[in-house]
Amino acid sequence: MFFWQRTKKNAPRPRGLDRLSTSLDANLHWFKADIFANDETIVYRRFKTKGTKPRDCVLIYADNMVKHEYLSQFVLRPLMEADLPKNLKGEEIADFLAEQVIQSDGSEFVYGYSEIGDKTMDGVGVILVDGCAVGIVVDAQGWAKRAISEPPSESVVRGPRQGFGEDLGVNISLVRLRLSSPNFKTKFLHVGTQSKTRVAILYLDNVTSMDLVSEVQRRIEQMKIDAVLDSGYIQEFIQDAPYSPFPTIGQTERPDVVAAKVLEGRVAVLVDGSPFALTMPYLLVEAFQANEDYYNHWISATFHRMVRYVSFFLTTSIPAIYIALINYHPQLIPTNLVISISASRKNVPFPGIVEIVVMGLVFEILREGGVRLPRPVGQAISIVGAIVLGEAAVSASLVSAPMIIVVGITGVAGFVVPSLHDLAVPIRLFLVLLASALGLYGFVFGAIAVVLLLSSMESFGVPYLSTMTTLVPEDVKDTVVRVPWWKMALRPRYLASKDRQRLQGQTRSKN
Amino acid sequence: MRFRHAGILALCLVCLLLSGCWDYVEIEALDFVLGLGVDQIDPEYVVVMEMAKTSGGGQQASVEPKVLATKGQSVSSAGRALSNPAGLRAIWSHAYVFLISEQVAQDGILPAVEYIVRSRNTRSTIWVFITRDCTAEEVFKSKPPMANSVSEHLNAVVLMQETISGFLPLQVWELHQELADEGVYATLPTVRLVHEQGELVPLVEGTAVLKDDKMIGWLDGHESDIFCLLKGILQRGHFVIDTRVEDKGRFPITYELVGNQLQAKPVFKDGEISMSLSLDMQFAVEEMGRAPLNFRDEKMASSVEAQLATAFQEWVEELFWKLQHELNADVLGFGRLFKRKEPEAWRRFGKDWDTNFRNLPVDVEVTCQVVVAGLSSEPINVRD
Repeated sequence: MFFWQRTKKNAPRPRGLDRLSTSLDANLHWFKADIFANDETIVYRRFKTKGTKPRDCVLIYADNMVKHEYLSQFVLRPLMEADLPKNLKGEEIADFLAEQVIQSDGSEFVYGYSEIGDKTMDGVGVILVDGCAVGIVVDAQGWAKRAISEPPSESVVRGPRQGFGEDLGVNISLVRLRLSSPNFKTKFLHVGTQSKTRVAILYLDNVTSMDLVSEVQRRIEQMKIDAVLDSGYIQEFIQDAPYSPFPTIGQTERPDVVAAKVLEGRVAVLVDGSPFALTMPYLLVEAFQANEDYYNHWISATFHRMVRYVSFFLTTSIPAIYIALINYHPQLIPTNLVISISASRKNVPFPGIVEIVVMGLVFEILREGGVRLPRPVGQAISIVGAIVLGEAAVSASLVSAPMIIVVGITGVAGFVVPSLHDLAVPIRLFLVLLASALGLYGFVFGAIAVVLLLSSMESFGVPYLSTMTTLVPEDVKDTVVRVPWWKMALRPRYLASKDRQRLQGQTRSKN
Repeated sequence: MRFRHAGILALCLVCLLLSGCWDYVEIEALDFVLGLGVDQIDPEYVVVMEMAKTSGGGQQASVEPKVLATKGQSVSSAGRALSNPAGLRAIWSHAYVFLISEQVAQDGILPAVEYIVRSRNTRSTIWVFITRDCTAEEVFKSKPPMANSVSEHLNAVVLMQETISGFLPLQVWELHQELADEGVYATLPTVRLVHEQGELVPLVEGTAVLKDDKMIGWLDGHESDIFCLLKGILQRGHFVIDTRVEDKGRFPITYELVGNQLQAKPVFKDGEISMSLSLDMQFAVEEMGRAPLNFRDEKMASSVEAQLATAFQEWVEELFWKLQHELNADVLGFGRLFKRKEPEAWRRFGKDWDTNFRNLPVDVEVTCQVVVAGLSSEPINVRD
């Protein structure tokens, strides 16, 4: 009784009790009664070795976490066919089995119950032999994995179609394939008292500042949480300016993006079980950069970037400007337009501000419905949204036609910059409320407030607006414009201070 | 610290709530005035407004013009007097045109335009017209064939001034300046009504000449063209001139003005003042009918150019005679030129400028050049 009470309170097991005993039955008893109590997925496979003096053995593993075929063929079969010399005692048995019988590329010895418990949960097989106080751990991890596919959240027209999966090892290998250099380093951490999730910090030794790497490591190590189920947990724990709606840590599902960011001197964090990698520091300018910008012709890339900046302005500001104009400054609208807006608003029962907030809400409801529902149903939602709510609302004079256009432009422009899409909604609302109380005056004040917030933020010591507020030619090469690759000789000033040279020597092969 | 943040936030909110929304309007509650007119000042102001009457909403939204007239003790009070019976909230800032009736203009336009110049409710770019032989209300009630409203029609015509010519448009800020400047009298374009296929249609043509703020006479469309040329205003007018082609007879040929440059120089010499003008014009031959005019023939071309110059010289002199002797109003701003360039002369002659303008010797040199002859520089040959 004394023992049970203590384990239930998670008190440390007495030193003597955490060591395997030589008796197989005693060991099995502890596993079944304590470590793996009530866990029916644990398989205890009992068998005997061959020969004159067969020994009782047991193979312990967690069902569906191992490669069953591999265990049967390269572990179980040689063991059952093995003829153990008679005179072996204690640990010598384990040595003999590991050295001469088990045909596995990875095996180690463990001595404690809880250690075996942890390892089993990682998907290994553990062999216990009667008369031997050692467990032999055989690497046989194997569970269902998703195939490498194009990430749905970041599809491209031109560019690699590989995306991260849920398996950390595979994900790291996808990045390593793109950066096959010994300077590419990976640092592992374990986070989560329950989940013990593996977290990898990726960086380039010769580019990234080590202060940054140790800062990222320090922040992750400071997390005290029971489980990490997605990289989003870590993102919220370690990011700067946690109350600001603007992201200060980047996220991507694409190994090529991670490789590019690491090459610029950033640190990437991969979390086991999450296809989303985190990159830091993250600057506002990155929200407007897409990986395709670097694969397409630089002129079209520059144009599309400008479209993104304009779209972000539209999606945050158009409703506010519209409200300000129709409620405070009808003089500023061209005559024909103001009369036609006025005509179309006749008989509309709600003031503009109600119209715009309600229609914005309806748009978000439709979007949320479309995102959560399975794809075929989601399409039905968008048709209902477009036809029923748009057309019918106008012909029933519930909303005015120009408002539908405003809400439509706002909504569509919001999709152009996906990483800022979610935060555009609160900013838009903030500006709309200010504009509806103070007109354009209020809108300008609100915009100033947003810029002040942006310029006060930083991400891992780098000012959030850096490279957007400068006119130094070297620093604006990859901001609103994207200059040709052979012009970008240096890495970003704020990130890769260690080694800024990106291009070596001659810049174009055909000169 | 937290308390302080909350305090700052509360202050911001209070500012917003107490000072916000004071000039909030719903756009559909506004009635947009497209054009304004003053028909009478004495004994009471009669103000006419052309409104855009909006109706419908949703997909049945429509706009039609509506003309309303009211009386009051001033332009603004007449405008406001309309609010109660008509139940409208007039917004004047989108008005395109401001019409002053002939009768008001003869008594002086200042009481009519003063509000338009002073008020922030109307634009300083509003076009000002004087109605000829009709009232502003009659103009607003006429039916322009293409435009939705008379005001839009007048605005559209004014914007085409360069190509259709025959008048010189003026915005209210320019009128303000011309009324205030020394050494120049203001002019305003005139609008009158003509019958067109059974409907009365407004026609912008001609110029009203003001002395101080009182209208004293008219220039017709042709005189207005010449007036524009002498003001140095770019235009693309068409002129039909009977042209003699060698000994083959006279033919009416249509010329289009494609370029005009004016150099006006006030001369002050030996205590005497005079004006020296040089007017250069470039023409395109637009239509020559049966005229056997061949522009490859240089002699023929220069004879045409000489005839053009003579015709224009004559028109210019006629206009000068009218301005100097008939109207005696320096609408071309020669006085202003003297003031700017020969201040000594202006000090001596400026005091009695009307008399001095009447006797001012004006030397005009007109040169004409035909630069374009259409697609063919030769006459079209017809088979015998």
